[in-house]
Order: sequence, then structure tokens, then C-alpha cells
Amino acid sequence: MVELWRTFAWDEIQQRYRRSMLGVSWIVLSFLMFVCGVSFFFSALSGREMENFIVYVALGYAAFIFISGNFLDGCQVFTSSRVWIKAMSLPYSVHVYRSLFRSFVTFSLQMAVVFPIMIWSGWTPGLITLMAIPALAIYVLNAIAAQYLLGLIAARFEDAGHLVASITRLLIFVTPILWVREGLDGARAFAADLNPLTHYVEIFRAPFLGEMPRMTSWLVVFGVTVAVWVAAALSAAIFRRRLPYWL
Amino acid sequence: MSHIFVQDLTVTYPLFNRARSSLDTQTAPLDAAEGFGGTQRLVRDGRGYIKGVRALDGISFEVHEGERLGLVGANGSGKTTLLQALAGIYPPEKGSIVVEGQRTSLVNINLGMRSEATGNKNITLRGLASGRTRAEIEERRAEIAAFAGLGEFIDLPVDTYSAGMRMRLNFAIATAFEPDILILDEWLSAGDAKFRKAANERMATFVGRAGILVLASHSASLLQTNCTRGLWLHDGKVHMDGPIDQVLAAYEALGNGRSTIKA
Repeated sequence: MVELWRTFAWDEIQQRYRRSMLGVSWIVLSFLMFVCGVSFFFSALSGREMENFIVYVALGYAAFIFISGNFLDGCQVFTSSRVWIKAMSLPYSVHVYRSLFRSFVTFSLQMAVVFPIMIWSGWTPGLITLMAIPALAIYVLNAIAAQYLLGLIAARFEDAGHLVASITRLLIFVTPILWVREGLDGARAFAADLNPLTHYVEIFRAPFLGEMPRMTSWLVVFGVTVAVWVAAALSAAIFRRRLPYWL
Repeated sequence: MSHIFVQDLTVTYPLFNRARSSLDTQTAPLDAAEGFGGTQRLVRDGRGYIKGVRALDGISFEVHEGERLGLVGANGSGKTTLLQALAGIYPPEKGSIVVEGQRTSLVNINLGMRSEATGNKNITLRGLASGRTRAEIEERRAEIAAFAGLGEFIDLPVDTYSAGMRMRLNFAIATAFEPDILILDEWLSAGDAKFRKAANERMATFVGRAGILVLASHSASLLQTNCTRGLWLHDGKVHMDGPIDQVLAAYEALGNGRSTIKA
């Protein structure tokens, strides 16, 4: 099974960039363009040094792309696998793993760019950096459930895809990626904390910046993870049998 | 070991853009007389809106090792849906399907392939999807390519194939891994004479291995060559079940089931 979804995902990645000359490096290039461009203009607004701010943006943006990418991919995970779901009986989770593997490859490529940037800015790894590992595990765990759940919803209700895309577009502005939460006054900082993504991004980014993520962040992330898994497991149990009829 | 057991199988396709029939319900008997069973297969909600189409309605039968079952019936009688249910693609809405043995299905030749990927890549994908290992796939690759007769096209995207080439590749992959149960839809009769001969030979080797073949077709000769038993579907129900010759004779006597059948 592992072999199956890995092959599917690789094939899809290659396919997506086959016709372009620079191929897969577009993932890296477009990421770099965004991070450098944004850091250049926004570092003045944030009051941080350009060297520090670019690392802050790069880490936050890579995390954000992974999370929001899983929302968007999740909406298509079953509809885009229609050709296989209607042709043979495979566990539907295969399609989720395929999709997740693809976004993880994208994420790894982007992180491969982030590291040189961090070293350039004078970053040295510490023990606290290891805290990013459980954060990454939590990301993957959430992505599986979120994709399965969104996949089912979007297969039944086509509008879900449009709704999720609109929300995701907004999320990049309300999540502290281009701005820094610490610099805000009470009300705004509280509002930022109401957004679960603030905490998801923080548990991954803070360890790299040599800061311990707040306990609040870990608690929020833990609670949301449990909720997403319960929702996904329940929906799968009830609606999985209807999926091929919806596609 | 292969065995199929189907009990009281019912499948309804949901309809999400609820439609109100433009036909007066008074005309329903006319529809039924046309052989489409029409109105009685539409599932309605309390307000008369159509919310689904009942494709299969309480079907029960059993297929034993070595039996080769031919499905006959007019368009819309439920043959393809039954094949998809047997293949495990559509879970039954009501009733049950128990299948023992490794099954492979070829119901729609446009599905189960990545059309942007090459023929070779598709052999790998389909092989893995049917639970084969890399080694088993490599072992069969040359044989599949030869049977499909694609030549150098095997390294081109499936997009560039003609319908016939697609069909040959699909059939070659599906049969190469020697499934216990092979489920085929009527598109097989669309092949040219050379392919039909090769396909018939391949299906004949099935008998020796005590596999089960389920084949839906409108071609009497294809069914006669490859099947031992016939199952006649009408309006999503089993109308007749018996030796293929008898079923075909009865079916053809009724002008391919188009005229009225008294349920």
C-alpha cells in the first residue's frame, strides 16, 4: 500500500511540472520570490531587522503553505481520484496519503531553501529546535484527518471547495506570518490568538527562532487535533459508503 | 478458491439536482411498456421530487468456482451497475455481496488509468493498485506490452492512444495478473476481429484455472463463446437465470427484451 500511494504521488508531481523547463524547481523559486519580496517590504513595518524577519517569514510561510495546501488539496482529494475510485475497490485512505505525500514533498523542498537562509542570517541550532519535530508530526496527523473530512464534504457539496478557497485566501492575512503577534496591543493580540492557525504556525516556527512555543499554543493545537480527528472518523464511518455515489 | 454470493442487492443512485418529472404520472404505464420500466424505478421524496434512480432492486444469485456468467438485458437494465457492485466499487445500499478470491474489473475503459501517464507507467500503477509487488509487475511487463500490441506507443502518454489501443492495454493489464474473478463490461465487443480472437483465447484459459468470469454484453456470439450461464436483468431485477443457450434464446425471442415483459 505504501508503495502504491508513493508511486501515485511521485507520478503526479512529475506530471504537474513535466511541461515546464524548470520543472519541480518552480516550487522553490516561487517560494523564494514570495519570501524575499515580502521580507523586503514588510521588515520595515514589523520593526525587526531584515535578517531576522526573513527567517520569520520563510518559516511561517512554509508552515502556512503546508497547512492551507492541505485544506485546498483535501477538497479535491476524492473528486480528483474519481478515475480510480470508480474503477477499482481500494481503501479511500490511499488517495489521502497520496495527496499528503505530495504536499509533504513540496514542504520539504521549501524547507531546503529555508535552512540556507537561516544559516546566512547567523542561525545556530539549539536543543529547543528539536521541539519542531513533534510539531511536524502533529501537522501530518492533522493533515490526514482534515483531508479525509474535507474530501468527503467537497465530494457531496461542490460549493465547499469554493468556500475553503475563499477562507484560505483570507487566512494568510489574519495569521501572524507577515506580521508579528508580539508587537500588537492587547485586543489585537487576543484576536490573533482566536485563530487556531496562529498556534499551529507558532509551534513549528518558534523552536527554530530559539523560543519555546507558548503552552497555550500547544493546548489549542492539541484540542483542535482531537476535534478534527473525531469529526473525520465519524464522517468516514457514516458517509464513506456513499462516496462513490457522490462522485 | 473463488465464489460470489449476492443477496437481496439494491442500489440507488442519488440525484442531487432534484427534478420534478415533466411527465404526468398518468403516462407512467406507457414508459413501462417501452421496456425502460421508467417511472417505477425513480425514487421520490414525499413531495414528488425525484431523489434517485433505483438501478438494482433486490437481486440474489450465487456464482461458483469455474462458472462463467453472461449478463444480458436491455440498455438501462442494471448490468453495468451490477458489475460495479460485484467489483466492490459501489457498496450495496441494501442486501449483501460476499466475494471470495482476488477480483479484477474492467467496467469503463476510460477509468482506472492516468491518461497523462505513459502506458508503461499505467501498467505499474494498475499493478500496484491490484495489490501486486514491483517484482511481479516487472515479470509481466513484456507480456502485457506484447498482448496489447502497442509497440513504441507503450512509452507515450495514454492520451495519445486510440480507443482500441486503450482497450487492448486495459484488457492486457487486467488479465495479466491472473485474477480469480474477472468482471468485464460490454465494451469488449467493440474490438476488432484480431483482438476479439486474442481476448477469447485469454478468457478460455480462465476455465482451466477454475476462475469466475462475469461478462456483460449485447453480442450473443461473444456470450455463447465465453459463458456457461446466463443472467437476464430487466428493470434492475433478475428476470431469468439459467444455461446461457436457454437465456439467450428466450431473450432473443422477445426481440432483445425490448417488448413488454410481464413481471
